[in-house]
Amino acid sequence: MTQVMYAPEIRQPRLSPSAPVEGWVHEVLEPDQLSTAKQRFGRARLTRGTVVLLWGLRVYVLLMTYLIGVQIWNALHT
Amino acid sequence: MAMLKDNQNSALLADGAPIAPPRPGRAREAGPRLAVEDLKRAEDRRRVMVNRNGGGRRSWMLLWLLIGPGILVMLGENDGPSMISYAQTGATYGIGFFLPFIALTFVMAFIVQEMTVRLGAATKLGHAELIYTRFGRFWGFFAMADLVFGNLLTLVTEFIAVRAGLGFFGVPPALAVLGAFLIVVAVVLTRRYWTWERITMGFAVFNLIFIPVAIMVHPVSSQVVHAFFTWRPLPGGFTSQFVLLIMADIGATVTPWMLFFQQSAVVDKGLTTADIRQGRIDTALGALLASVAAIATVLAVTPLFTHHVAASSFQGAEFAQALVPFVGKVGATLFAIGIFEAGLVAAITISSSSAYAFGEVMGKPHSLNNSLREGWPFYAVLVAAAGIAATLVLIPNAPLVFIVLIVNVIATLAMPPAIVFLLLLVNDRQIMGEHANTRLANFFGVGVTVLLVLAGLVFGITTVFPSLFPT
Repeated sequence: MTQVMYAPEIRQPRLSPSAPVEGWVHEVLEPDQLSTAKQRFGRARLTRGTVVLLWGLRVYVLLMTYLIGVQIWNALHT
Repeated sequence: MAMLKDNQNSALLADGAPIAPPRPGRAREAGPRLAVEDLKRAEDRRRVMVNRNGGGRRSWMLLWLLIGPGILVMLGENDGPSMISYAQTGATYGIGFFLPFIALTFVMAFIVQEMTVRLGAATKLGHAELIYTRFGRFWGFFAMADLVFGNLLTLVTEFIAVRAGLGFFGVPPALAVLGAFLIVVAVVLTRRYWTWERITMGFAVFNLIFIPVAIMVHPVSSQVVHAFFTWRPLPGGFTSQFVLLIMADIGATVTPWMLFFQQSAVVDKGLTTADIRQGRIDTALGALLASVAAIATVLAVTPLFTHHVAASSFQGAEFAQALVPFVGKVGATLFAIGIFEAGLVAAITISSSSAYAFGEVMGKPHSLNNSLREGWPFYAVLVAAAGIAATLVLIPNAPLVFIVLIVNVIATLAMPPAIVFLLLLVNDRQIMGEHANTRLANFFGVGVTVLLVLAGLVFGITTVFPSLFPT
């Protein structure tokens, strides 16, 4: 019987350490394509301009929420 | 030896091909453990690898294997409200300015969507996940919540289109909506990205059903060619109402769900940087097909313009009814099927984009290759999004007209953060490496972004405060 190893959430018994399926999958998929081994990049280093831009977006989001709220209010009262 | 299925030990692939035995003397490689989605994705990638290095027929097979996300996102953007909007445009303005304008909007959509292909292929992360990773929890959760809420309202409009399309055939609204919902669920329950993608593409092809309807009205080809070269005529001229319509159309060229969906689908499909070229072809092909379908819709209703039929407030089934004297029952039937298809495909893709974003930000498995046990949060969100929208459509006296009106406002106003993050990410050399935007890509990308953001803002603000814009 072929030996296979699955991630624990599948709840299959771990069998022999020789795992041809695992080796084959690793040959076909790139390492960061595996669902349990996603590449973690960490937080972006932001320039001052980007920080200003993101704060501007925060203000925009507040304004957008207000505009949509006004739209909903107007619609409910017409 | 058993077949590879969910939660079973196996030694064969699903197509019966044997798994290669371990090489003699090679020690087992320690590494990340495998989930069911990894195994299924590996099966798909094996076929890609087999076809990658051959020429001729193999290169066509390679393209066939790799297309999908681009076609689905573009044809999904030709959703119910969009097709009705194209029909209203054709009935109001006839053959003229809007034919080349529609083509231009899809060129802009390609420029934006192509960036999501590179992002997904280079980082192997979905759009929401990447925003969360690089810009922190606030923006990650905002992106997800904003998308899920906007998508829910959009899904309501899609089920409205389904109801309208099937209403032409006398199908009761409850049956139409329930049927569409069950199709959405059934396609997802294949638990196989490849199968889900191919079935949805099969539905999406019916977006081209407007082409035979356009042929049936016998448009004057010289008029069509003249319109593409001169962008004229424009009945009524450049009125403020016309400018507002242009702003609305530009602002709606790309909607947030498109960015999130295509990048997540590229990752779920397993595309790598070696596949970027095919991903671009896929996106361009999708834009071409969608623009042809959109232009065909405009042409299909030009008899209503010619005969001065007041169609500006028509919905899907009403257009089909109004076209019967000009294209017969067959043409009207095809038109109604097209409206139904537009709503159905969009319901499938938009509900999937909500589930992808939720899973990516919440750290849950998020793949259409997952088993039900592994991916139940993902599937639950997907089914719930479609189910809630379908239910809302059937509630008596539900404010559906209001929802249809506000969806456009929300989509255009929600676009700036989504597209700004797209530009920031695709220019981030730390994650993109050599696949970051070039200067030329930034010239077009930033240009289109500025246009989309400004047009969307103008449309959104003037919709909320109409007195600001003189008519």
